[in-house]
Amino acid sequence: MYKWLLCWRYLRTRYLALVCIFSVMLGVATLIVVNAVMGGFSTKLRERLHGILSDVMIEAHDYNGFGNYHDKMERIRRDPYLAEQVVAMAPTLEIFAIVQYRMGFQEVYQRANLVGIELESRSAIGGFAEFVVKRPNAPKFELDAEGRKRQELLRQRGEMEIPTPVPPLPGAGPEFPPGIEPPPAGELLPLPEPPPYRDEPFLPPCCIIGHAMAHRRYQESDKPAIEVPILPPGEEVIVTTISGGRFAPVNSVFTVCDYFRSEMSEYDSNYIFVPLDYLQKLRAMEGRVSSIQIRLKDESRKKEVVERLKQLLGEGVLVQTWEDKQGALLAAISIEKGILNVLLFLIIAVAGFGILAIFSMIVVEKTRDIGILKALGASHLGVLQIFLAYGLLLGLVGALCGTGLGLLITHYINEIEALLSSSFGMEVFPRNVYYFDKIPTNIHPSQILFINVCSILIAVVFSILPALRAALLHPVRALRFE
Amino acid sequence: MNDSVPLLAVQGLHKAYRKHKLVVPVLNGVDLEVQAGEFLCVLGASGSGKSTLLHLIGTLDAPDSGSVWLEGQRIDNAPAHQRDRLRNATFGFIFQFYHLLPELTALENVLIPAMMERSLWSWCWQGRTLRQRATQLLERVGLGHRLHHQPCELSGGEMQRVAIARALMNQPRVLLADEPTGNLDEEKGEEIVRLLRDLNAQEGLTMIMVTHNRDLVAPTDRVVRLVKGRVEPTQNPVVAHTPAIFELPRRVAL
Repeated sequence: MYKWLLCWRYLRTRYLALVCIFSVMLGVATLIVVNAVMGGFSTKLRERLHGILSDVMIEAHDYNGFGNYHDKMERIRRDPYLAEQVVAMAPTLEIFAIVQYRMGFQEVYQRANLVGIELESRSAIGGFAEFVVKRPNAPKFELDAEGRKRQELLRQRGEMEIPTPVPPLPGAGPEFPPGIEPPPAGELLPLPEPPPYRDEPFLPPCCIIGHAMAHRRYQESDKPAIEVPILPPGEEVIVTTISGGRFAPVNSVFTVCDYFRSEMSEYDSNYIFVPLDYLQKLRAMEGRVSSIQIRLKDESRKKEVVERLKQLLGEGVLVQTWEDKQGALLAAISIEKGILNVLLFLIIAVAGFGILAIFSMIVVEKTRDIGILKALGASHLGVLQIFLAYGLLLGLVGALCGTGLGLLITHYINEIEALLSSSFGMEVFPRNVYYFDKIPTNIHPSQILFINVCSILIAVVFSILPALRAALLHPVRALRFE
Repeated sequence: MNDSVPLLAVQGLHKAYRKHKLVVPVLNGVDLEVQAGEFLCVLGASGSGKSTLLHLIGTLDAPDSGSVWLEGQRIDNAPAHQRDRLRNATFGFIFQFYHLLPELTALENVLIPAMMERSLWSWCWQGRTLRQRATQLLERVGLGHRLHHQPCELSGGEMQRVAIARALMNQPRVLLADEPTGNLDEEKGEEIVRLLRDLNAQEGLTMIMVTHNRDLVAPTDRVVRLVKGRVEPTQNPVVAHTPAIFELPRRVAL
């Protein structure tokens, strides 16, 4: 009983101990805020990574894609287990490309990911239709009234006369280098047809283009950033890519009809969605796709589904989950978080050395009291427990205050960020990096518990040495201590 | 000295303090017996080893050689937990410099020895009773109105009275008073000694008081003198002449 009374009294009267509490509090608060923000980023990133990727995907090993995709989808539908698990499937043809457009008097060339999709099936997969800006959840490859008006205006002004890329020569294709056998004629895909050009009556197909690709972000000092559209609906872009099989360059004009905004910088600045059948024709890959995206009824069953798909489809295709595909990125985030936690716990360990130093001072200060307690019958263990309990109380109070402070900062992190930004005149959290409107946070109670337990443990461990010193003090020498 | 087993016995007690190669002998074979209910005054000059003797009797320190006996049981070499228990329940210490815990109130200081032998749980059951006892003790030493004052808010005499109440809390069998008036003025010193003497007379509490001040000795006390680390029986110095303090009216209502 006397141990707790003395601990409590020491806690209330030793202001030096407040330094220990303060250092533990700061350490715990920092850990909670950093973990909450990193957890928030991680969760949001996972959501977005998963958002655009389906649960499971069947992919081709190379740019030629795979044929008979209708047949493969049919086989999946007929399989009893898969039919139960699979909610939707979307054939997709994805290829790198170069986008060319005019910005003022300047020609702009930009790398892009060209994705051929069927709107209906791709929307059923999820992670697409909801990110379309002008017609959310009801995307269409056609211009709205405003877009048509702009297209008309541009055509009348003659601004559509963007330089026509050189069409590939019929029969052109890469020569097979000496020593490499060309595949048998039957297995070679046909050469692409020359695409339709300006001299023919031609209405370019529509495309849904990444929001970041179609906009530029400007910021003047002291003013919020503004986004200026450089490719508004009705504008045309030339997309150059390669054909399947022979890798002949092919190109086509597309009209921008909508934007895709997933808030993932990488996707929003790279992706162009075009009609699947048009891209197949352009790349001379009729009946072939690069992947089949699959949405599952229960995402947690994805491993079993992958195994079943591998059995069903054999080695000709690559079957993987979205996590397998983004494994490196997810692992990097996890490692980053782990390392940061280790570093931050070192901060608390430094606070622990502070506790050690301050505790040693307190033990010296309390030497006579220790002598008195021993004269009154306190055991070595009793004195040891007083100082260990004191360390525990310091850690506990520090951790609790730190938890409160950490949760408060996490709750008001956006307000704090705004205050810091306005005070120092610089953007603390640049929104164009992640396209998050707010700093995402995610608090796990188990993580807070872990941080608290570790901090309290550190406080107790660092008070062992001074507590031992106190316990082993000779009572007579302690009583005579001046 | 009667033939029955004495309450306390000290035989051939030796104690020396050492610093590096320097050895300072303090006690050189002290033999002493104390009967229950006795008021023993140990007189001696400063540095004669009076406090050391008290520490050895109260098991606060261990002798180099010799032994300490309590009711025929040797206690100087008892296990640590047993000695802790003896200091808590059998002996009550009163120090020259009061030695109160500065963070606690007078009442809490008195309660500390009772808390030591009780867990938090048993305190929940017995706390109220013990608190009442501590309050009664403080009232008895004339501090019923200063229960919640901290040591820094009390005078020297009041602090010493709190220390006496604390020493009495666990109903000890022996009170060991180490120069209890050494830090007080004459008037306050008299009050304290009168208090101790009353406890001895009314409750039969065995008392060992060490002091260098022969004026504190009463005609009824047994007196021994510590000279060169040995006990020399001596005649009560006040048998012939009673000091003025014993003729003064009592100031402390007991």
